[in-house]
Amino acid sequence: MLPHDTKIVPAFQLRETAYAISREGGRLLAMFANDERPVCGKFVIYCLFSNDGGTVLVKGLLDRDETPEFPSISPEIPAAAWYEREIRDLFGLKPVGHPDPRRLVLHENFPDGVHPLRKDFDTRTPIETVVGGEFPMAGVSGEGVFEVPVGPIHAGIIEPGHFRFSQAGEMMMRLDAKMFFVHRGIEKAVEGQPLADAFYRVERISGIASVAHALAYSQAVESLAGVVPSGRARYLRALVAEMERLYNHVGDIGNMCAGIGFAVAIMAGARMKEAVMQVSDRLTGNRFLRGMVAPGGVRRDIDAATEQAIRTLLDALEPDFTELVGLFRENDELLERMNTTGIVPKQAAFDLGVTGVGARASGVDTDYRRDFPYGCYPDLALSIPVYTAGDVAARLWVRVDETYACIRLIRQILDQMPEGELRLPVPSIPAHSSAFGWAESSQGGVIHWLMTGKDDTVYRLFVRAAAYPNWPALTVAAPGNIIPDFPLINKSFELSYACLDR
Amino acid sequence: MPYESLLIQVVLVLLLAPLVQGVIKNTKARFQSRRGPGYLQPYYDYAKFLRKDYVVSPTTSWVFHVAPYVYFGAAVAAALFVPTLMNTGVTFNNLFILVYVFALGRFFLAAASLDAGSAFGGMGGSREMYIAVLVEPILMLTLFSVAMGAQTTTLSGMAAWASGTGLTFSGLLAALAFLIVLVAETGRIPVDNPDTHLELTMIHEGMVLEYSGRPTGLIFWAASVKQLVLIVVFVNLFVPWAPPFVEGTVLSWALFALKVLVTAVLLAAIETSTNKIRLFRAPGLLAAGGVLALLALAAQ
Repeated sequence: MLPHDTKIVPAFQLRETAYAISREGGRLLAMFANDERPVCGKFVIYCLFSNDGGTVLVKGLLDRDETPEFPSISPEIPAAAWYEREIRDLFGLKPVGHPDPRRLVLHENFPDGVHPLRKDFDTRTPIETVVGGEFPMAGVSGEGVFEVPVGPIHAGIIEPGHFRFSQAGEMMMRLDAKMFFVHRGIEKAVEGQPLADAFYRVERISGIASVAHALAYSQAVESLAGVVPSGRARYLRALVAEMERLYNHVGDIGNMCAGIGFAVAIMAGARMKEAVMQVSDRLTGNRFLRGMVAPGGVRRDIDAATEQAIRTLLDALEPDFTELVGLFRENDELLERMNTTGIVPKQAAFDLGVTGVGARASGVDTDYRRDFPYGCYPDLALSIPVYTAGDVAARLWVRVDETYACIRLIRQILDQMPEGELRLPVPSIPAHSSAFGWAESSQGGVIHWLMTGKDDTVYRLFVRAAAYPNWPALTVAAPGNIIPDFPLINKSFELSYACLDR
Repeated sequence: MPYESLLIQVVLVLLLAPLVQGVIKNTKARFQSRRGPGYLQPYYDYAKFLRKDYVVSPTTSWVFHVAPYVYFGAAVAAALFVPTLMNTGVTFNNLFILVYVFALGRFFLAAASLDAGSAFGGMGGSREMYIAVLVEPILMLTLFSVAMGAQTTTLSGMAAWASGTGLTFSGLLAALAFLIVLVAETGRIPVDNPDTHLELTMIHEGMVLEYSGRPTGLIFWAASVKQLVLIVVFVNLFVPWAPPFVEGTVLSWALFALKVLVTAVLLAAIETSTNKIRLFRAPGLLAAGGVLALLALAAQ
């Protein structure tokens, strides 16, 4: 994902530059801003596109004396919609011509004119909560239609998000979501911290993608420092990354069945997830596989007994999982609920920049492990399932196929494990150098962009998890279905809120 | 004295209904490879609810306040009418009364669900009525198929006749149809899911979401009573061997208890064997029940 090509333009030319790339089939991967006024006197807006196996980075420069605005690229590139609203909230740079003028990250209770990611914002600044503000939600009006508000406090023990359903009876006509209720400001909190310390916060951004975030960050640091971890370190990293994918996929498959009250499958998924997590704990000392990946390599080695424990786990899991999948294959009642429910058309998945399971279920063939190879993945036999129906069932089958692929990959990793140093020292990195790091999590691609400060500190870290481009796809999938099917559609994506609230 | 035995019967049904609910929950958990709550857990739950204070939305009217009592009263009335353990001498236990006593309770709960003005309550209420419209005719038809043979519409007369005729083809069809009614009326999978926390998918539970504390306790208890009454109708009319209120022997009582338990386990097994069907597919399942009931009637 190292940008193969970089275009630097003044901010007012951002739109035409971006549109030109987009019209040639370029797909927006990430978009973010950086306050580089202390470095070069400018705000910089970064847009990363992928095209024909390569990537293009567009940098829009905005001088400090100019009006803080740039032409929005969302009208033609819907994937930019959330990124631009986030840039406006956190940097105070206005995307002119954006179709949705509402706030995104900072809600109506946050004061105007305070932009936390600007360098002149001190984290100790007291923020006065605005009382009585309004947050307009997309709704519906007329005879016989009504709105159903759900959340942000939910009945289950999950994270907060507000959903507004516009209904004609049981039929969903429209869905609007208000997210980012518990934004933690991690990107701001790590600024100025030593690179090695910031790592711990990054690894804890989200439970379900601990390894993916740790990997993306470490790879960004290593690419800046010119360090290539040893073969053994790269294999051990892939091992924990695939263990993470495995426990998530079996757990998510069980959870999908919670949307239709199929208790046997829910319990089977929970049981298998627990088995993988217990072995993960043995491997890394942490059920979420934290503490293994570190900049420069890995922290722990694997011994023969643990390797055997993993092999034993896989040998038991595979038939167990096959039995579970057998409950799905010829089950008309179950397939009747999942087939044709919650369809994300291929074009929508492409336009919104959907990644991971959601993309591969809608016919968009993308997987960062293959598209932007990293670690030891070029040595491994990847098989990447793609389904075209785009419905709940397609997302189920993608996860099922990937679970088997995961089991094969872990076996291959253990078989081919080379010798080598666990962890190499990371040399000092010059100030204000920047690089991308990325990884494919169980939900899809994770992208980090890191710019260093003086003395090996973080100047700016941008984190985009898979959930970020995938949440908006839910608002495409839901309309046209009946509202009691929404939990099933939602669970078929099984998106992380914490990955947004970074 | 018939009135004493009537009193004993009602008290027994009220007291044992939570136990049957506990058996279903525990058995279901075991089928799903969970340990599950103890058999007595519903008693603790209902007692806890009945002791608790409650909050009421300021937008509600008297309907919201009386609905739990009407629902509970309807369940108690149903327990009175249905011949269960002994001959109570009740002669007015007409099948129509049973059907409409249930309808009365449901009507008040559905009205109350709209009263608080919350979206979940209204959705639950409308879905409950939509399912009820489909279930009531099947309940009627299955009962008719027995009433035709018995030449009476009193439940005790029907049960006495059924116990004398043994297993018939018509009875078997009616039993299957009634089983579908039982699943739908007790809000179980595949029609509804009593264990879910997902408000958007709820039917019966959604309807009563606005209640808390004591009214919740009453509604849950009443629902378990209604469930036991339906199971009693099932075993006394459609599993027709030696109903205890005809025979009155210890053996018949034991057999009755066994039949109720087996039915409870059967409900748990049905719930575990499949998933909830799509809301708008429920008519298909219930239509199958309707056809079975019609065939039972024709075979009679």
